[in-house]
Amino acid sequence: MEFDKNSTLKLAKLARLSLNAEQLNSLEKDLTSIVSFIDQLKEINTEKIDPTSNSLDQDLILREDVAENKLSNEDLLKNVPESELGFFVVPKVIE
Amino acid sequence: MSNNWQTVIGIEIHAQVNSKSKLFSSSSTGFGSAPNTQVSLVDAAMPGMLPVINKFCIEQAVKSGLGLNAKINSKSIFDRKNYFYQDLPQGYQISQFKDPIVGEGSIEIDLGDEKKVIGIERLHLEQDAGKSLHDQDPNLTFVDLNRSGIALMEIVSKPDMASPEEAVAYVKKVRTILRYLDTCDGNMEQGSLRADVNISVRKEGDELGTRCEIKNLNSFKHINAAINFEVDRQIKVIEGGDKIKQETRLYDVTLDKTRSMRSKEDAHDYRYFPDPDLLPLKLNQSWIDDLKKDLPELPDEKKARFVEQYKISDYDAEVLTSDRLTSEYFEKVAKNRNVKLAVSWVASELFAILNKLNLTIEKSPVNSDQLGDLIDEIENGIISNRAAKEVFEEMCESSKSVKEIINDKGLVQISDTTEIEKFIDQVLIENPDNVQKYKEGKTKLLGFFIGEVMKATKGKANPGLLNQIVKKKLDN
Amino acid sequence: MIENLTIEQTSKLLNDKQASALEITDIYLKKINTAKKLNCFITVSEDKAIEAAKETDERISKNKKIGFLDGVPLAYKDLFCTNDILTTASSKILSNFTPTYESTVTANCKDQGAVVLGKLNCDEFAMGSTNKTSFYGPVINPWKSIDNEDELVPGGSSGGSAASVAADLCVASLGTDTGGSIRQPASFTGLVGLKPTYGRVSRWGTVAFASSLDQAGPIAKTVEDAAILLQTISGHDNKDSTSSIRSNENFYSNLDSSVKGLKIGVPKEYMSDDLPEEIQKFWNEGKKILTENGAELTEVSLPSTKTALPAYYIIAPAEASSNLSRYDGVKYGLRVKEKSLTEMYESTRSEGFGDEVKRRIMIGTYVLSSGYYDAYYIKAQKIRSIIKNDFDNVFKNVDALFTPATPNTAFPINREETDPVQNYLNDIFTVPANLAGLPAISIPFGLDNSGLPIGMQLITNSFQEQMLLNISKNLQDTINFNNRPTQWWK
Repeated sequence: MEFDKNSTLKLAKLARLSLNAEQLNSLEKDLTSIVSFIDQLKEINTEKIDPTSNSLDQDLILREDVAENKLSNEDLLKNVPESELGFFVVPKVIE
Repeated sequence: MSNNWQTVIGIEIHAQVNSKSKLFSSSSTGFGSAPNTQVSLVDAAMPGMLPVINKFCIEQAVKSGLGLNAKINSKSIFDRKNYFYQDLPQGYQISQFKDPIVGEGSIEIDLGDEKKVIGIERLHLEQDAGKSLHDQDPNLTFVDLNRSGIALMEIVSKPDMASPEEAVAYVKKVRTILRYLDTCDGNMEQGSLRADVNISVRKEGDELGTRCEIKNLNSFKHINAAINFEVDRQIKVIEGGDKIKQETRLYDVTLDKTRSMRSKEDAHDYRYFPDPDLLPLKLNQSWIDDLKKDLPELPDEKKARFVEQYKISDYDAEVLTSDRLTSEYFEKVAKNRNVKLAVSWVASELFAILNKLNLTIEKSPVNSDQLGDLIDEIENGIISNRAAKEVFEEMCESSKSVKEIINDKGLVQISDTTEIEKFIDQVLIENPDNVQKYKEGKTKLLGFFIGEVMKATKGKANPGLLNQIVKKKLDN
Repeated sequence: MIENLTIEQTSKLLNDKQASALEITDIYLKKINTAKKLNCFITVSEDKAIEAAKETDERISKNKKIGFLDGVPLAYKDLFCTNDILTTASSKILSNFTPTYESTVTANCKDQGAVVLGKLNCDEFAMGSTNKTSFYGPVINPWKSIDNEDELVPGGSSGGSAASVAADLCVASLGTDTGGSIRQPASFTGLVGLKPTYGRVSRWGTVAFASSLDQAGPIAKTVEDAAILLQTISGHDNKDSTSSIRSNENFYSNLDSSVKGLKIGVPKEYMSDDLPEEIQKFWNEGKKILTENGAELTEVSLPSTKTALPAYYIIAPAEASSNLSRYDGVKYGLRVKEKSLTEMYESTRSEGFGDEVKRRIMIGTYVLSSGYYDAYYIKAQKIRSIIKNDFDNVFKNVDALFTPATPNTAFPINREETDPVQNYLNDIFTVPANLAGLPAISIPFGLDNSGLPIGMQLITNSFQEQMLLNISKNLQDTINFNNRPTQWWK
């Protein structure tokens, strides 16, 4: 797969990254190279193989349904860039 | 609507699991707390935080699946659904995509005269998002994460509904089942149960049309109104020569219209993949069987039993079983009592007062024991049905016992023959003309005499006895 | 006297009251101050270190010393969240983030009385094998070639964790290893670096890179120290759903350096003509030592080896692209103000992330996107099954595998790769163990002709860390590698 401006910008949009012309240019090149590297897997036959998404062979651990609110609003917002009246705030969103 | 247009409706219900803590964190799920006070490090997606699943939510999802006659999957996977939004702190929602916890099932809806089976596609567990407030500031949106991470069951129907009535009946039925199972409180005002409705129209015999999804409908009224508007809109668009654009829409309550959702305009690519922070969920068949064994009686079974056991009409049974607490209330009242009286008192008098006071049955001012006491007094002939209504009204307002109210109001029925005779004699003396006419054959006047005696006794005469004695005296 | 201390030696000094924890801590803080050139630390938590050292001295005076780590000055990769201490993941996007919580791993060390000197530089979000992707600039390897004055990379991503121990700016450190990020820098700096079995160590509170691969582990001067740190940070954590429910082990007390009768496999796929002669030489020497010490060496085959690296460069970026979505300027970290939400996201993330992180987010987004998911992501997960199966088969016949840790030694910082794939090749020997979730260790073997350290790798079956440490100790005791870099930075 050759990455061009369009395909690279489309990915950047999905990933919420804005790119300047220079970044765009070098990313097109880098992505093309990386994808050609990972493309070597296409030769491997994996038809009858189940995917492994985690190597740990164990049952999912379950938690009891006990409620506790440990984090104060103040601690929650300790690192917040911007807040109002205990809320997180973002630029106005129109739904 | 033109005659040859068909409507095709599929519904996704988001039902909040009635757990104490969230799906993947132990923050409380309580409603109405101060903003951002029920948010854990996990819910706020702080760096390095990890999800740990709530066992109770899994049980509730499986119970719900069983209640929807659905297949329970012995292995299910939690996936990440990736998108950016201010109410989604992780930048992804943990949901289930390819391998949901519950597979296909079906339920039956009642459409008055006929019944219809609606297919269930799947039920899966997922996290709720936070809440955005857009009206607090002209330039800012405020975000409250208290809801963020609460467990939802998304119940996806097949596109089996053809009218707003069917859609409403379907959502009502699912809600009833979940409330029977006690897996979701079904409170639509508080957002515990919301519906996303997918609608398309087509000409009879044509292929499925392009659908639009109307998001977040939170009352039966809105579901009905939104579908009506949307079907008309789609037909107008097509008949006007345009095409329907597949999109997400919102129902605007004040304008009674649906409109395109701006925030959903971007083409989405959710990039689902198994959440590497969670291992597959495996359910043991014997565990599922145990849950199944402990399942409560569900609305359809209960309705059938009511018809069979109490010999009541299909209609009455439907009304009495449409809500688990109502059905339980009724059964307590009906136990060892006259069923007809129980049905009429619960389904007419009680429902009327609850409606008037806008209360649900769990908040009823008269509990089942009290209503039972009242019916006992009627059955024992202590008070008349008419007097009972007066007692009932008083019961709704005071905490006095049935007996106290009857005594206070002096409503005890006169069942003493000699006393009733006194009143009858008086009426006969005062109406010699009518007595004469009766004796000449105008027997319809019996009602007149009974009425007069009732008036004289202020309605307290035992109607059975009264009837009997008047007749005897006149016929002599 | 207080020079190049191991955990064992520090503990003994404290026990014998030959030095106080405060004195030792003070010496290390001074050393850190004289080694700023190496750029190992992002944050030096001086006040907290002194306070902790005083608490240790208080305990010692009451004969209530907690354990081996009590009073031992350690430092942590800046990927571990530390309560009330800046935690950046070496990224601009977290350059103002101070957690209100402590990662399980560092909390375990704290509970054992460890003194935390500070937070160590690393590749941004642990993405890299040179430490050059850090927002805080590259870490300089304390080792230099005898041939020239070039500044060398310490390896990565745990470059600060390795360089700080090699330069003796702390007694030992913690790093994380997703594709070799502990073992490769340990190898480049002449240290012991251990990646535990996936699930052995809790990931709670450690900034995530690739969730199904990340494991924290020690970088230390000796196998004994690695054992002490490993048993400190291991154990089930009910806050991590991928934490093993196995009970913890006493790796240090159970160290047994005999390799008699053990079967050790040498995977033929790790041999190649490209492998530098000197690495080949030490590899052969290791085989000889193990044989002489009573182990039985056999050649084995791991046919899927060459598929591991491309599979890794699908899986790790895929998980990372999703894990890094939370850095959006809303809840914490950097925010670049803009008029709309989308612009705010895009500007924040573009300014907050460096080039390598952006590359990986883009690749991860690509391999998960509609139309490519099956061809890349699912394919790679299937390859992971094959790789795991290869190891399972091999471990039916051998107790451990013996390989080089890296295909090269430390290289100059100013060597620029125009193709990112060239950098990815640094992980070629280390990545398979991550994909299969296996424990692996890098141990120093000697110096090449330029005077740079060379490390070898041992891999065992899941949860066989004791075996891994035992064989390592045997090699360590035989080789007796005790070279230290000259302190040119002072």
